Amino acid sequence: MRRGAGLLALCLALVATLLTACSAADGGETVRLRVLASPDLAVLAPLLGDLKAETGVDLRLDHRADAETKPADRDRYDLAWLSSDRYLRLTAKAATRGVQRTPTMTSPVVIGMKPDVARKLRAQVPGGRLTWADIADAAATGTVRFGMADPRHAGSGLAALVGVATAAAGTGAALRPEDVSCDRLRGFRSGQNLTADTGPALVDSYADHQDETNALITYESDLLALNASDRLDDGLEIVRPADGMVLADFPLLLLDPAHRTAYDKVTQWLRRDSVQRHIMQRTLRRPVNTAVTRDARLREPVGNALFYPDQPGVVAALLADYGDPDRRTTSQVVFLLDFSGSMRGARMAALREAFAGLSGGDLSASGKFTRFYRGERLTVVRFGERVLEEKTVTVTGPDDLTALARTVARGGYGDATAVWSALDRGYTTAARELAVDPDRSISLVLMTDGENNAGLAYAEFVRRHQALPTAVRAAVHTYPVHFGEADADELRRAAARTGGRMVDTAGSSLSEAFKEIRGCH
Amino acid sequence: MFANRPAAEEPRLAVTRPPRRRLRRVLASALPVPVVGLVLLVASGNLLLPLRQVVDIEAKMASKRDFFQDPVVERLLMKHGFRVRITNMGSREIAKQDYEGYDVVFPSGQPAADLISRERARANRPVLLYRPFVSPIVLATYREYAEVLTAEGAAKRLSSSGGRPMYYTLDMRQFLDLARGKRKGAQRDPKDGYRWDEIDRNDHVRNGNKILAQTSDICESNSAGTYLGLVAFVEHGNDAPDSEAEAEQLARKIKPLLVEQGLPSSERAETYLSPDGQSIAPVSVIYEHQFLAHQIGYEAEKGATDDERVLLYPSTRFVTEPQLVALTGDGARLGELVSENRELQDRAMELGFRSRNATSGATSDELTRFLTERQIPVPTTSADDTRAVLPSLPLLEKMIEIVGDCPDRTGNQ
Repeated sequence: MRRGAGLLALCLALVATLLTACSAADGGETVRLRVLASPDLAVLAPLLGDLKAETGVDLRLDHRADAETKPADRDRYDLAWLSSDRYLRLTAKAATRGVQRTPTMTSPVVIGMKPDVARKLRAQVPGGRLTWADIADAAATGTVRFGMADPRHAGSGLAALVGVATAAAGTGAALRPEDVSCDRLRGFRSGQNLTADTGPALVDSYADHQDETNALITYESDLLALNASDRLDDGLEIVRPADGMVLADFPLLLLDPAHRTAYDKVTQWLRRDSVQRHIMQRTLRRPVNTAVTRDARLREPVGNALFYPDQPGVVAALLADYGDPDRRTTSQVVFLLDFSGSMRGARMAALREAFAGLSGGDLSASGKFTRFYRGERLTVVRFGERVLEEKTVTVTGPDDLTALARTVARGGYGDATAVWSALDRGYTTAARELAVDPDRSISLVLMTDGENNAGLAYAEFVRRHQALPTAVRAAVHTYPVHFGEADADELRRAAARTGGRMVDTAGSSLSEAFKEIRGCH
Repeated sequence: MFANRPAAEEPRLAVTRPPRRRLRRVLASALPVPVVGLVLLVASGNLLLPLRQVVDIEAKMASKRDFFQDPVVERLLMKHGFRVRITNMGSREIAKQDYEGYDVVFPSGQPAADLISRERARANRPVLLYRPFVSPIVLATYREYAEVLTAEGAAKRLSSSGGRPMYYTLDMRQFLDLARGKRKGAQRDPKDGYRWDEIDRNDHVRNGNKILAQTSDICESNSAGTYLGLVAFVEHGNDAPDSEAEAEQLARKIKPLLVEQGLPSSERAETYLSPDGQSIAPVSVIYEHQFLAHQIGYEAEKGATDDERVLLYPSTRFVTEPQLVALTGDGARLGELVSENRELQDRAMELGFRSRNATSGATSDELTRFLTERQIPVPTTSADDTRAVLPSLPLLEKMIEIVGDCPDRTGNQ
C-alpha cells in the first residue's frame, strides 16, 4: 500500500517535471534578454525567477534612471520595460513607430496628502472635489508642500507636470505649443520642496523627510505601497484631482524583433490571471487583465484621463519652464501702475479687484493657478506725472499681500501720465535687484490708461534703456497692459524693444490681462 | 486584375519557401514516454486529436487577432492542421512594414489590404485575398455619456424591447458640430469646442474634456483611418472627395477635430472594456464585433448583458471588410478554410462578426438569431442612416498623412 503510494507520487512528480519542462521551454534552451528598465519596475524583480522557470525566458533588467527619457540603445537592449513610453514616442517617433508594445499594468499619477491637509483643502471647496487648481492654490500659499520626481528624468514627474499643465491651460484638449505658459505653473511649483531622480528614490526621500513635507505626487501604486508599509507616521490620503490625471501603463516594448518568440512568451505570461494577481498584490498597480478581481483599494474610479500632448515641442517647453527642482531661483514682478486722475472711479476699482484676485480672491481655476505665491517678490510702483511710491514685498504670508493691497488701495492720484519715466524707474529697480541676485528672474508689467504727457519722452527712455548693462536688457522684459485711452502702438513698440508682449484689456478685463502675464513668457 | 504589373511573367501565387511541416515539439519530446505523452495532451487541451502534422502559419494582424486568438478558433484550426503565430500591429503599419517571411497578413480593412496587394502586384508576386466576415465601425461609450448625448439631442435611443437601450444612433453632424463649438444653431469660436461638463447640466459625467471620439494612431490603424473617412464624408456634405486638391483641403479642415485627443493610445477596445475605460476614454472608435463579443461573453458568464457599456452607431455608417491576404500556399489554404468552413464561420458569428452577405447594414440572420437566443439585444439599422463612402485609396492615404503627420510609406518604391 505504502509502496504503491510512493510509486504514484514518483510518477506524478515525474509528470509534473516533464510538464513544466515541456510547456515552459518548448525547446529547452533558456533565452536571455537584456531589458532596459525603468526603476519603477524594480519591484517586480522577485517575479523574474518564476518567469524564467515557466517560460524559459530570463529577463535581465538594467534599471536606469533615464530609461523613460533617453531613446534606448538597441545594440545593448532587446526589450524595454518602462512606466510610460509616451516621452519616447513623442521625441523619437521614428524609433518607436511600429515597435510592439504590451501594457502590463496601470497606475494613475495622483497626489497623496496628510489627512489634516486634505481635510483643510476639501473644506474650502464646494463638494470637496479637489482639483489641480486647488492644489496649485494651496501650494502658492504654502499650505501644501509636496514631493515630486524630477520631470526631466522620471516618468511619474513628467506625467505629473503634463497633467498639471494640461489642467492649468484648461482647454479640455491636448496641450498645443500656444497653450504652454509657465505663468500658470509658478505657484504650483513653489510648493515643491522635495524631489528625486526616480520614483523609488522619491518615495524613500519622502519617508525620510515626512516632517517637512505634507504631500506626495506620484503613482497611486507608490502611495498605496507607502501606506501599507510602516514607514509613515501619517498615512497619505489619496486625492484623485477632479480635473484629471495621466495614466501610466507600464508597457513592455520589443526593441529587437528577432526576439519576438520570447517576447510573446513573456507578455502572455505577464498577462495570465495568476501573474496579474501577483503583480497587483506586489505593486498595487491596476491589472490589465480584466478577469482579475481587484484589491479593494484599486476599485476607486481612476479619474478622468487628460489628453496627452502629441507635439514634442510642448513637452520640451514644459520641461524648460519647470527647470531644475533642486535649483529654484526667485521670481520678481515689478508692477508699474498708472495712478493718474483718469484712473479714478471704475478703473481704479478694476485695478484693485485685479490685485485682490491675484492675492487669492479669484476662485476660478485660472485664478488659482496664477495667484501670487509664497517666495515671489513683488514690487508696486505707483505713478502719475512722476513716480509717486514704490513698495516691494517678498511673499511669506497673507500679511505681505495685505501690505501690497494697501499700497494699491491708497488714493493719491497724480495730475499727468509719465509712462516712460515709470518704465525707466522699473528698469532702475530691476538693475539694482539683479546686481544683488543675478539669478533672479525679473519682469515688468506696465499698466496705463493714457498717453504719455509728462516726464521722459519715449526716445529718451529708449536711450536710457540702451545704456543699461546687457545682462539687464536681455533678462528683463516689459509686458504693457493696454487700458482705456493708452497708446497701443507705442506700448507695443516698447514691448517689442524689450522682448515682452502687449496685452489688451479690450474685450476682457484688467484681471484677465494681469492673469495672462504673470511675468514669464 | 493586375493590369499595372510589369509584363513578362505569368501571374502566379508566390510561395517564398517550402511549407514547414513539422511535428509538434510537445509530441516529439513526449513520444519516448507514451503515458506521459497522453497526460501532456490532456493537459494542453488537445485530447484525442488525430496525430497529424501541423503547419505553423506566421501571421501579422491587428484587431482581427480577436478571432484567431479565440481558444475555440485555435482548436478548430488545429483540427485542420493549422497553428497561427501572430505578430500584433496596426493595419496600416502591417502594410507599411516588410511582410517577408509571413504566410498571411490580415489588416482590419480594405485600404491596408489594397496597399499590400498593389505593392505585391507591382513586384510581380500577386496575392490571394479572402474576406471571411465584416464588421461596422462604431463609437463605443458608456450609459451616462450616451444619455448626456441623448439629452443634448445628438443621440437617439434605438428601439429596445423593455429595459434600457444598448444601442443609440449618433447624429454625426451634431456630434462634430459640438467639437467645433456649434450648438443648437449658435456658433462660438470654432477652436473652442464644447466639453462634456458644458452640455451635461446634471453632473452625470463630470468631465472637463472636450467632446470627441478617441481613436488609435491614425498612422497605424484601420479603425482610425476609417473614422477619418467617415468624418470627411460628413464634413464634405455626405460625399467623398474625388480630387487630390479637394482631399488635401478637406484633410486640413478636419484635422483639428481628429488631433485634439493628443498622443493616441493603442489597444482601444481593450481600454474600452477595462474597468477604468470610462475614465480613460468615454467614447472610443472600435468595431462592432469587439463590442458584441464582450456582451456575448459577459452574458455567458453573468447571465445578463453589461448594462453600462453601450454603442453609438454613427448616423453615417460604414462597414469594414477585413481582408486576409495570403502570401504563401499555406496562407491561401488558411484563408480558404476560414472563409468556407462552417464551424469557423459559426464561431466568427459567436464572436460578434457579421457574415459577408450582410454588408448592406442589416444584421445577418444568423447573428440576429444567435443574439436573440441569448437575449442580447439585436442592433437594428435606422432607415435614415447614410452609408458612407471612403475616398479612393490614394486620396485616403494622402488625408491620413496630412491629419496624422505620418511619415511617408517606406518600402514602397
